[in-house]
Amino acid sequence: MDVAIIDYYANHGKSFLHKAKAFWKIIFTAMIIASIIITNDFYLLLGIYIALVTIAVWTKLPVTKILTIAAYPAIFALIFALASWNGSWLRAGVIMLKALSAALTMVILIVTTPYPDIFNVIRPIVPKIISEGLFVTYRSVFILLELTDDLIKGLKVRGGITRRKYINNVKNFSSGIGLLLVRGFDFSEKFYGVMNVRGYGGKISSDNTKTSISRNDVIALIIGILIFAVSLGAVIEKSLLEFSVYILVFSAVALVISSIYVLFDT
Amino acid sequence: MAGWIVIALILAFSIYRIKNTKLNRKIPLIGIISALMIVCMTIPIIPIAYHINLSVVAGIILGPAVAFISIFIVDLIIAMFGHGGITVVGLNTVVIGTEAFIGFYLFQLFMALIGRDSIMWSSGLAAVISLILSTSILIGVVYVSQINPEIVIGIEEEHPTEAANVGNVPNELVKGINIKSFAKTILILLGIGWILEGIITAFVIKYVSRVRPDLILPERA
Repeated sequence: MDVAIIDYYANHGKSFLHKAKAFWKIIFTAMIIASIIITNDFYLLLGIYIALVTIAVWTKLPVTKILTIAAYPAIFALIFALASWNGSWLRAGVIMLKALSAALTMVILIVTTPYPDIFNVIRPIVPKIISEGLFVTYRSVFILLELTDDLIKGLKVRGGITRRKYINNVKNFSSGIGLLLVRGFDFSEKFYGVMNVRGYGGKISSDNTKTSISRNDVIALIIGILIFAVSLGAVIEKSLLEFSVYILVFSAVALVISSIYVLFDT
Repeated sequence: MAGWIVIALILAFSIYRIKNTKLNRKIPLIGIISALMIVCMTIPIIPIAYHINLSVVAGIILGPAVAFISIFIVDLIIAMFGHGGITVVGLNTVVIGTEAFIGFYLFQLFMALIGRDSIMWSSGLAAVISLILSTSILIGVVYVSQINPEIVIGIEEEHPTEAANVGNVPNELVKGINIKSFAKTILILLGIGWILEGIITAFVIKYVSRVRPDLILPERA
């Protein structure tokens, strides 16, 4: 789990997307997700995916790492594509690209936006128990990762995980999860108690929650609108799909130019 | 969209059910169980494309109403990390929440039938059965999502479907998947996962019941 790395990227990046406000980035993300949903053309989807890789390059973060994080659903999409195989490679490609593009869109949002900013934007539209649950869960993931590290070391040192003793390993590993749950709960309870004592009332302090629009927000919005407009156009007027290869080539060229620019710029 | 509507209704009902519960204790518990589920769900067991859910553990410890909230939070966060589809958060929550819901009531039933000393068997069996049922729901959802509404309402002849037009638009997704092949593959692959999840659930619940029995058998919403 790369939560710590994602958190680091979100808080230490310097790109225009990092500077854009969370509210507008969520709108940008929603538009790209909508494009992915309505697009069923393989080449157009590939074009959108390459455009997203280009945006990932613009974040000036390690692109390979971002792509690896966003590649997780590919395993399940591949299984789904193979399991439901009807003889069409393009259909399988569409399934894979939809999963990969949607995941990459969300990863771009999360690596460029600190989580309190995202939670603050969605806080007014969700019930208190969900907004607080989101925050405490996110914090608990860090607590848990630290405890998991200690647990695995402990299990290895005491012979809890050994080769060829699979039943024993599963038993010890499961008890380990139980231990994590109990210890994690204690930590989480203390953390939440301390926050309440210090005056926490469900709102997390953040400078990045205003909805006023800046240059960086406008750039993000324009990219989102462009991608959505292309997808919507192709849905409304099917003959436009003939040009999807050109969009793919345009995205590829933009990716190459952006990669060279960012490489020399950094 | 249907998944989001269903889950919105379930969440509204769940929140209504727990309105009199003190949140001070529930929120840290939601936090840690959701975090545990997130960590487990993001570790795929590659050959069988399965990941441990711990949904039944969530159901047994949190109770069905709070478990639905916890699972919604989990699905939302893993979607943000690109580990799950943001568009299917609603459907995922319905399917996994059903595991927690069924798991909780089966656990209670088995505890009553077999006795309290059989906490391992009760939780393990509850996990396996609820996973079988939730997988059936998953296959059902995939099947329903492939039905062309135009065929159902009988207007297909006037407006040819996308599948019928596929010759004109060769790159487009042809609707309709091989549902039999999908069901077969899923049942074979997930069968191993059910047993694994059942064993893990049994040991986790056994451990927690020994160390913190108050977490297993308190008042629940």
